[in-house]
Amino acid sequence: MKRTLAALFLLLAVLTAVWANGRPPAPIPLTPTLTGETEYCLTCHNDLPDISAAHPTAVFGCVRCHGGERLALDADLAHSSMRGGANPSDLAVVEPSCGGSDCHSGAVSADRDHIQRVQTSIQATYAGAIAAVRYAFGVQPDPAAQLGAFAVQDTETNTGVPYLDPFNPAQETHPSILKFSQNCLNCHLSADPLPGGEYDRFTGCAACHTPTQNRAPDQLTHTLTTAIPYTQCNTCHNRGNYSLRDMAFHPRTDEANGRLQDYYQPIGQFTQCEWTLDCIDCHTRSEAMGDGDIHSSQADIQYVQCRTCHGTINEPPLTKTITDPNDIALRLAALNPVIDLQVGDTILVTEQGEPMWNIRQLDDGSLQLTGKVTELTLPFSRVMDTACEQNPDEQESHFCHECHAVEH
Amino acid sequence: MSPSFFHHLHPPTIPKPQARFSHTLGAGGLAVFLSLTLLVTGALEMFYYVPTPDGAAESVQMLTFLVPYGGLVRNLHFWAAQGLLIVSIIHMVRVLLTGGYAAPRRFNYWLGLGLLALIIFLDFSGYVLRWDEGIRWALVAGTNLIKAIPGIGPGAYRILMGGDAPGPAALVRFYAWHIFGLILLFIIVGVWHIFRVRRDGGIAAPPPKLRQNRERLPRNELVRIEVVAMIVATAVLILISTFFPAPIGPAMSETAPPTAEARAPWFFLWVQQLLKNGDAFFWGVLIPLAVLGLLAALPLIRPSLAPEEIGSWLPKSGRVVQIATLGIILTLLILTLL
Repeated sequence: MKRTLAALFLLLAVLTAVWANGRPPAPIPLTPTLTGETEYCLTCHNDLPDISAAHPTAVFGCVRCHGGERLALDADLAHSSMRGGANPSDLAVVEPSCGGSDCHSGAVSADRDHIQRVQTSIQATYAGAIAAVRYAFGVQPDPAAQLGAFAVQDTETNTGVPYLDPFNPAQETHPSILKFSQNCLNCHLSADPLPGGEYDRFTGCAACHTPTQNRAPDQLTHTLTTAIPYTQCNTCHNRGNYSLRDMAFHPRTDEANGRLQDYYQPIGQFTQCEWTLDCIDCHTRSEAMGDGDIHSSQADIQYVQCRTCHGTINEPPLTKTITDPNDIALRLAALNPVIDLQVGDTILVTEQGEPMWNIRQLDDGSLQLTGKVTELTLPFSRVMDTACEQNPDEQESHFCHECHAVEH
Repeated sequence: MSPSFFHHLHPPTIPKPQARFSHTLGAGGLAVFLSLTLLVTGALEMFYYVPTPDGAAESVQMLTFLVPYGGLVRNLHFWAAQGLLIVSIIHMVRVLLTGGYAAPRRFNYWLGLGLLALIIFLDFSGYVLRWDEGIRWALVAGTNLIKAIPGIGPGAYRILMGGDAPGPAALVRFYAWHIFGLILLFIIVGVWHIFRVRRDGGIAAPPPKLRQNRERLPRNELVRIEVVAMIVATAVLILISTFFPAPIGPAMSETAPPTAEARAPWFFLWVQQLLKNGDAFFWGVLIPLAVLGLLAALPLIRPSLAPEEIGSWLPKSGRVVQIATLGIILTLLILTLL
């Protein structure tokens, strides 16, 4: 009897083990061509779309960018060594995640130095705001940047700022600087956003390149794009004002109902072309992501004005005809194929030579912009040969807005 | 029925009162069973395990998640190892509390103590073979204790680790110790221990004249009981291994900050607790060695017992040993749980 019971117990245990072993989902292997190392993330994440056309899952897999334990079928273990949690582009981990000479920390000449540029950019360092506030309260003698959101170096500086030390509130004594550190450090690329859907964004590269607006709470967002809508820029910009008087952030109070009101906050002045466009239709990569130098203020890096595309009464905008099949303009157009840009096409270029690859000069000499996000085709005119009398030396947008602002 | 090989491993008959589960707690037999389980599951694991720093944790994950029943085999190995340490301690305590250490069994008690030490080293070396984040702290802290030994420390560390820090050489050495060196010693001492059990007259019992119950258990029945016990133990082990997976961590990384808390494996938690007092050599090496020495010295406190009390729980003539035993075990238990 005892023996029978023991044998039945063993049978039960074995059957239980067989049942438990058959319970987990069948492993789904993936051997990305880039790494050649089989990973099993798709066992659970088979429903995720390719993050972008430039990063197909079949080529990159998951682990190359996200880290994690590629063989583990236990969620906690598999995720335990992921870089940056769900966001490997956080600047603290961006180098192992997105870097590499063939990826985003390659040579300047190959236009692959994205990480170095971003880490020195004003959006990442927040050096402009920190310097301005410390200067305003007499903590530093001039508005040149000394401190950033994190320590960063620029070994070949063109701006005279070779490095930034990390801004450390513990080393500040002025009460306004302390308040600044508490209330005003929510908008650099390493800062977590303020609570609220209107501020919803990731950190690092994904702050801009992973659009998060209008997504459902807790919705997984697996997208990288260069077609960044203005709504993504607006998770930091145009949300309100930082007041020097009480060193606090005052959110805008108007309720935007439509693109016109939403685009800029009420104090902004703008023309119709501006709110029809998206920010990235005019503002360039180096303005947004930095040019590799550490700058002391947004004004140092932002240079595109109305004249960049429209020219002045004396000069047409600058153009360039694409001859090199590896031209960066073609690469950028391929990443966001809203137009079919070809060798031989003539595009506008900025004063610094950056391609405005979405703005072509057609064969008849007319100019045509294609919205990088909206895909709208928008013909527009030069200033030359129009009735405009604007002095060519006064070309900042506010001069243009004297006549061309939209009432709001 | 003519006795088989397995029958011949046992004496023809043994005294029945001492063969009862309530006397032996089945601990010695369970230890043999768990050792055999460990040999078999360990051999299976060796088909997949890769003893290199880059390959170790990955091969453990491969075994755990992707090899059919690999996870079960690994869990069986893990739980059999934890079980072996626990039943060995229970076995030792049982021997100490029933006077089984007294002459002529003193030497075998020391052999058993040697086996316990070997089991602890086997457990630790097996734990290290995971080579994942979960073991990093214990590997570094544990091996640094060797460095702390005055004079010979640095040299001994290099012999153990094959270098000045945990690396490929250290992993291969732990592997070699775990699957061969320590196993060889374990088998030799283990067989010797079992041999001495029979040579010393089987389970400790009073001399025949002083026995109140003279019933004896024939080996046919003993083997049958052992088989049933083994079946039940196998079933329990399978159930535990099915529902409680062995610990596993992300691959060890030199660059990433440690993800796991600084925590020794459970059987060294008492040493970790002691180390909080300061000096690594004193608290981490000398005191644990002193505990081992104290355990070894217990049979010397009361070398012989009243003959009629042998083979029963808590003989009066062994009070001092019993109190010392419980004192040591309680202290270690409290230090572990703190």
